[in-house]
Amino acid sequence: MADCRKIFSTFVGLSVVFFLLVVDSPALGVKKKENALGDKVQQLMEWSSKRPVIRMNGDKFRQYVRAAPRNYSVILMLTALQPQRQCTVCRQANDEFQIVANSWRYSPSFSNKLFFASVDYDEGADVFSTLKLNSAPSFMHFPGKGKPKKGDTFDIQRTGFAAESIAKWINERTDVHIRVFRPPNYSGSIALGLLFTLIGGLLYLRRNNLEFLYNKTSWGIGALCIVFAMTSGQMWNHIRGPPYAHKNPQTGQVHYIHGSSQAQFIAETHIVILLHAAVTFGMVLLHETAVSKGDVGKRRIVTLVGLGIVAFFFSLLLSIFKSKYHGYPYSFLIK
Amino acid sequence: MAGESNIRTALSNPAGWQSLLSFSILALAYLAAFSSRLFAVIRFESIIHEFDPWFNYRSTHHLVNYGFYNFLNWFDERAWYPLGRIVGGTVYPGLMVTAGTIHWLLNSLHITVHIRDVCVFLAPTFSGLTSIATYLLTKELWSQGAGLLAACFIAIVPGYISRSVAGSYDNEGIAIFALLFTYFLWVKSVKTGSIFWAGCTALAYFYMVSAWGGYVYIINLIPLHVFVLLLMGRFSYRIFVAYCAFFILGLLLSMQIPFVGFQPIRTSEHMASAGVFALLIAYGFLKYLHTHLSSLTKSEMRSLFFFAVAASAAAVLMAVVYLTYAGYVAPWSGRFYSLYDTGYAKIHIPIIASVSEHQPTTWVSFFFDLHVLVCTFPAGVWFCIKKINDERVFIVLYAISASYFAGVMVRLMLTLTPVVCILSAIAFSNVLERYLVDDTPKVHHIEDESEDDEEGDKRNKSKDLYDKVTKTAGKVRKIRHEPSGEPESLGGNVKTIVVMAVMMILMMFAVHCTWVTSNAYSSPSVVLASYNHDGSRNILDDFREAYYWLRQNTDDHSRVMSWWDYGYQIAGMANRTTLVDNNTWNNSHIALVGKAMSSNETRAYEIMKALDVDYVLVIFGGVIGYSGDDINKFLWMVRIAEGEHPKEIREGDYFTPQGEFRVDKAGSKTLLNCLMYKLCYYRFGEMQLDFRTPPGFDRTRNVEIGNKDISFQHLEEAYTTEHWLVRIYKVKKQDNRVRLDHTVRKTDIKPKTKFTSRKSGKRKRGFIKNKMLIKKGKRPSSKNKKPSRKTSSKK
Repeated sequence: MADCRKIFSTFVGLSVVFFLLVVDSPALGVKKKENALGDKVQQLMEWSSKRPVIRMNGDKFRQYVRAAPRNYSVILMLTALQPQRQCTVCRQANDEFQIVANSWRYSPSFSNKLFFASVDYDEGADVFSTLKLNSAPSFMHFPGKGKPKKGDTFDIQRTGFAAESIAKWINERTDVHIRVFRPPNYSGSIALGLLFTLIGGLLYLRRNNLEFLYNKTSWGIGALCIVFAMTSGQMWNHIRGPPYAHKNPQTGQVHYIHGSSQAQFIAETHIVILLHAAVTFGMVLLHETAVSKGDVGKRRIVTLVGLGIVAFFFSLLLSIFKSKYHGYPYSFLIK
Repeated sequence: MAGESNIRTALSNPAGWQSLLSFSILALAYLAAFSSRLFAVIRFESIIHEFDPWFNYRSTHHLVNYGFYNFLNWFDERAWYPLGRIVGGTVYPGLMVTAGTIHWLLNSLHITVHIRDVCVFLAPTFSGLTSIATYLLTKELWSQGAGLLAACFIAIVPGYISRSVAGSYDNEGIAIFALLFTYFLWVKSVKTGSIFWAGCTALAYFYMVSAWGGYVYIINLIPLHVFVLLLMGRFSYRIFVAYCAFFILGLLLSMQIPFVGFQPIRTSEHMASAGVFALLIAYGFLKYLHTHLSSLTKSEMRSLFFFAVAASAAAVLMAVVYLTYAGYVAPWSGRFYSLYDTGYAKIHIPIIASVSEHQPTTWVSFFFDLHVLVCTFPAGVWFCIKKINDERVFIVLYAISASYFAGVMVRLMLTLTPVVCILSAIAFSNVLERYLVDDTPKVHHIEDESEDDEEGDKRNKSKDLYDKVTKTAGKVRKIRHEPSGEPESLGGNVKTIVVMAVMMILMMFAVHCTWVTSNAYSSPSVVLASYNHDGSRNILDDFREAYYWLRQNTDDHSRVMSWWDYGYQIAGMANRTTLVDNNTWNNSHIALVGKAMSSNETRAYEIMKALDVDYVLVIFGGVIGYSGDDINKFLWMVRIAEGEHPKEIREGDYFTPQGEFRVDKAGSKTLLNCLMYKLCYYRFGEMQLDFRTPPGFDRTRNVEIGNKDISFQHLEEAYTTEHWLVRIYKVKKQDNRVRLDHTVRKTDIKPKTKFTSRKSGKRKRGFIKNKMLIKKGKRPSSKNKKPSRKTSSKK
């Protein structure tokens, strides 16, 4: 019995030694690696079929993104989406990232070479510390081989985080071309459809009395609105997307007027709309009082008020212009 | 005696005064328009400005020298090397033909002027004509007084002057005249419904098509006008005749321009006009049926008519959509599409987005270009809508669409300016005509007399340019609206105050216009000027210096590579072949040049060899602080190159890790070693500009440059101008023998046996005693030694 045990123990010992030897032998090791890789890829595929952006925490990150056997690239978004973090940029960036991931997920060339993942700060703060990041959102690319290089961090400051630029960056880093497919924004068309149905319904309801269509005042106001919006640079706002106003972080003072003639704030254009409208209103008033019939004294006052409006608001406009366009020599009433 | 009495009756007749006054005011407006554009000529010289005008000048020169048909068939082998450019087929010839005609006319009258002077003064001449066309249009729309005011406004408004100063010999200079004249004739033909006026409109439209690509605006605005009139139920046979005649004639005439060709029937931009034409015909046909089917009741008739029109409109729309999808009609081209979808150009056509005049417009530049007019012209829109009629619908549509386009693109401020002038003239004249009336009850003949007196006074004053606007408004208004039964008077004082204040504002407008013209829009940009502290002026004539150097010192057929901005100037002034120029039709060619500029020298040399480049020209402003130089434009070169060669050029490589574009030491290595950087800063590191700054201090970017040790392998400096503004390099021919830029590797492995030549010593060939043993395929090396021994031992 004792012998038996001894033999058994030696057998076990031998087998352990043998096992160790076997494990050490290269052929088996590769197989194991491949298995691990296959498992990882399979796991990742499974996750990404559920949701295009895989949510990760610190452990998963280390296992699937950092750990060595990889033949796939991972695009990682590091973000802070919890409401208490108050990161509005993160949310916008997340939307764009989702668009790219979805485009990739449902594109015909979808393969297991590229995965999209995200780590939230509140779920994996350690990831941020290992990557030495202290700002969110940021995008990183982990290539299939080797460590991330300089260009593998997406430069949000310069290129912004529009889905197209993310896709372009991915194309640069991984040679995978993703055609960004934005889910068509139905809200705009729905609003437009609603508007049209409303107008159509209104016209239908009042089909016996379409006089209001000939109301020149409403048409005039509509035309003037377009003209005011365009001449005050709303199109510039739409294309460039400036802030509403600028708050000086030191003094807490809020600037509504941009200091340079090359740019403008949204608040500023609203002020300009008001000034333009006031001058126009004054002109119309001047004309209307002159042709109207009524008490002469009252009309005189209205005339002077109209003139005052024109002169005052025009000089205000001129002074704002002067403050923006440095070196402009003229002013009127107001310095 | 009889003549004198005639004059006397004419003078006492208000109508005579009126026409005399309006004639003299128009003449003065013409004069003001002409002379306020001459700042550049007086300050510098009679020279063609900027970039595009140089091409126009060069082709006009060709037209004058070789005749019209040779011009139409001109193949310019000096542009777009090695592609060349068919100039006759890719240019709007109106400008050149106009200048050529004037030159021919003057010369046949034995007034010998050089074609350059004709070109320089063409734009001011035509802006005078523009102010007359504006007068005619406004007169048709509102009244004669408003017309005179509008003529004065457009004569001096900066928004138009910016494109038409003397020397800016460009399409826009004559196109705005053609635009307004076409609109005038169109309004006239809508009013009269005569084929004569419609035919004239088509002719004016033809002139416009031959002059400027902006004719597309006319061919969309006029159909829009007709369409809106149909919607408003203002259909009349006047409109029917006017539009049908204009459309057919205009279509046929516009297709005569080689550059336009079949576009009017093949592209979406023109489909609106064809669609409206079909709709109008259908509408007219239904109207005609209407008169014959009187059996139906009125309401039945109305609904039937309504549905028939709606159905035909839908059918027309479907047809256009189908043709577009089937490929018979080209979809909207990128340039026009970017007006609708404002983000389009930035993503897809960086070359359009790179041009500064294609940027959206801030309110400041609206105010800068239009001053008081921009806030008063909505009042004109308001008055027009309140008293709407067929032709005022047109001006309102013009105002709305033009303000949209001007908002999208700074450049299109040009089309907005005329309508702003017209409408604010309407607003001002509408207000002034109420306050300039002297309606205190008087004995009739006394009133006449006093008026004459006043007129005389004002005419004396009219020498003063700035008062002109004032006088115009007042005078004519008074004459026209005297007799109407006015409501009770407001009293003289209030009126005087109002008139004085309005005059004050208009005077400020005139002062503003002069200031802007003189300060902002009168620089030729070929010649630069800088001012010292004491106000004396330095002329920096580096551009011409460099171009003349090229002209005098290089082979006639040598090819000069530069960024596309300078292509026309090199062709025009240096008369050398260029690779790319301002006619940016071939993006990939431009991208190739951009790639050469942004690669390192070796790569760039390969591209330059492939393109047969002999000289490279760069603009460098670091010495004098000129901000429009090539380093500041460099990112666009990279972007455009990246668009075509995304593998080789990456924009990110040219930034620091923090995402900054810096030329100092912290700048990225790629930037510091690319060809453009080296060309600009070659030997700049040795130059100390003043004692406060280190050597190699770039004044434009206010930094010390990062790479001072620049040497060239394939290029050599050929010429640098006085202020270093233009630098020209010669591309060396390929070396006969490529020298290695590193020394041959030396090893410390010593050969085991001392080398002895086989031809000497024992193993010398020819000795039979120790015959050489040759084994094919095996060299007797150290590895093979053993087996060979074995074999020998076996033996």
